[in-house]
Amino acid sequence: MKIKLSFLLFFLFSALAFAQQGYIEVTAPGNRALQLAIAPPIALAGNADMKTAGELAELFRFDMTLAGSFTVLEAPGIEGRSGIRPGDFDFASWKSSGADLLLKTGYAISGTTLTLECRLYDVARGSELTAKRYTGDLKDLRRMAHTFSDEIMRAVTGEKGPFSGKIAFVSTITGNKEIYLMDYDGFNALRLTGNRSINLNPDFSPSGREIIYTSYKRGNPDLYRRELFTGAEACISSSRGINIGGAWAPDGNRIAFASSKDGHSQIYLIAKDGKQLARLTKNSALDVSPAWSPDGTHIAFVSDRLGKPQVFVMDADGKNARRLTTSGAYNVGPRWSPKGDLIVYCRQQGNGFQIHAINPDGSGDTQLTSEGSNEHPRWSPDGRFITFSSKRGGREALYVMRADGSGQTRVSRGKGDDSHPVWSR
Amino acid sequence: MVFYSAIIHLALFFFLLEFHFPAHFKETPVYYVDILDLPVANPQAGTPSGGNPPPPSPPAPPKQREMSLPAKPPARQATAAPPKKPESKESAREFEERIARMEREAGARHQAAALEALKNRGAAKGPVGMPGATGTEAGSDYASYVKSRLEDEFKSTIAFQSKNPEVYVKLAISQYGRIIRQQIIKSSRDKLFEDSVSRAILKAEQNLRPPPSGKQFEITVKFSPQGIGKQ
Repeated sequence: MKIKLSFLLFFLFSALAFAQQGYIEVTAPGNRALQLAIAPPIALAGNADMKTAGELAELFRFDMTLAGSFTVLEAPGIEGRSGIRPGDFDFASWKSSGADLLLKTGYAISGTTLTLECRLYDVARGSELTAKRYTGDLKDLRRMAHTFSDEIMRAVTGEKGPFSGKIAFVSTITGNKEIYLMDYDGFNALRLTGNRSINLNPDFSPSGREIIYTSYKRGNPDLYRRELFTGAEACISSSRGINIGGAWAPDGNRIAFASSKDGHSQIYLIAKDGKQLARLTKNSALDVSPAWSPDGTHIAFVSDRLGKPQVFVMDADGKNARRLTTSGAYNVGPRWSPKGDLIVYCRQQGNGFQIHAINPDGSGDTQLTSEGSNEHPRWSPDGRFITFSSKRGGREALYVMRADGSGQTRVSRGKGDDSHPVWSR
Repeated sequence: MVFYSAIIHLALFFFLLEFHFPAHFKETPVYYVDILDLPVANPQAGTPSGGNPPPPSPPAPPKQREMSLPAKPPARQATAAPPKKPESKESAREFEERIARMEREAGARHQAAALEALKNRGAAKGPVGMPGATGTEAGSDYASYVKSRLEDEFKSTIAFQSKNPEVYVKLAISQYGRIIRQQIIKSSRDKLFEDSVSRAILKAEQNLRPPPSGKQFEITVKFSPQGIGKQ
């Protein structure tokens, strides 16, 4: 039987090798960004509104520049006033400008109702790649446009963008550490808590409809769960000592967090309603900051069991713990990428911290930031970007960068210190 | 005893010297582009006397002074009669000249034999090259021509988001030089990359010459980014 199988495999591989031999190979150097021309938004009905048109153009330019896959063509100055539908304009002039893609947008404002129509064209083929029409309140202009930015990413790369997601974070705008919610680019900030105490470590549920966070509002650092749309809130862990670093499991039903109820900080597992499930670590060291792998089978965490804080990885049931970071004397704050291929963490360097990325097997440790002190890295839901807090500009502010560390862009727009960002779906 | 010790130490010293500082000759790589033999769609290789009257020759380029090494003065002995029997008291110079002459004669005989063999081989297989061609146009086969066209366009379209994407595409080119079918045989799962390949094919098609055979031409092409270790 084994011999037969060996022969079968041999012939199969031989056939495959033969099938792939008869080809010519075409290669090219580099990785070119697509040239994206953004035509000036036009009014589809009624009078032109320069503020709306300017805001739309600027938003698309910001999103697409950050995306990294595009070079936005600056004001090509080509018949931007013609229509946006196929047949309303000629591709020839866009083609000669060197554009690969063309984004055309039109809007119509009636009272407080906005209709936004966006169309993305492939200039070389003269074909439409995607088109959407959104209707809603005028104040939802940015949400509609970010949603189409996601759609552009889907049309071009096959995977939806994260631009319509929200970032929850901690800010001291009011003088206290409160939890806020904002668009990923810093607009439309909304305060979620107002208990005038210290609120920390927000984390979104996989559905994006709830958050968990730690609050000192009753004196002790307890863990709370809050529904974003109703505002309903429940305390899910109020054990004596700390209840911090809550991390929602990918299945949405369990939460890992650090608690010192048994003496010193260890990792525990609870259901989302607060029911105790398991103690995952049991040793005399301090274990904190759990972070789930996207498939829910492993948890990265920080432990000082070897003397200094280092990042470790264990199975989701607490077994088989192994050290992940071997360089640097003080490594904290791990967070697993949504694709599972990388873990970001902070390493103490000099007087501050820098963000690093490492493969889950401990190889390929790469420093991503170098300016100022940078902490609290969290992935965008598609794994293309990382949001983090940085003190490079004096006050602590939120930044966004691509997963390789390029394109670091400040997104905080408030006057307080902003930290602990987390990006929703 | 001291002698042997010295020998062993010296040997060890030279061994270590060779081990740690091996005398490598590192040749600087030279890159070149062959601008004369770029692939063409319909190479006109053939014999100069291909049977048909040769096409009118292009106007002769202005005669340039040829660059060559200064000619050696003819050796005095080269014009001499067939080799004589060496004299019993032949000088060293005369001996060297005699050997050189013999080598030249042997080389000439070898070259003549090789040319004869080539002629015979061509004659056995009939006329060489395209009918009526005169062997004046450098070129290659149609597959290389298609590769060259695709490579030119791929340089301006390549984009990818995965680490080492590779895609195999089967192309069918009509007798008129149009790409009538493109089928992905093995996907890279990188949409950005496959779109850039598709754009390159679209652009290449615009200036594609028809296959010289006058029939539909099918070819499988593997597209990939040029990385370290690749040409």
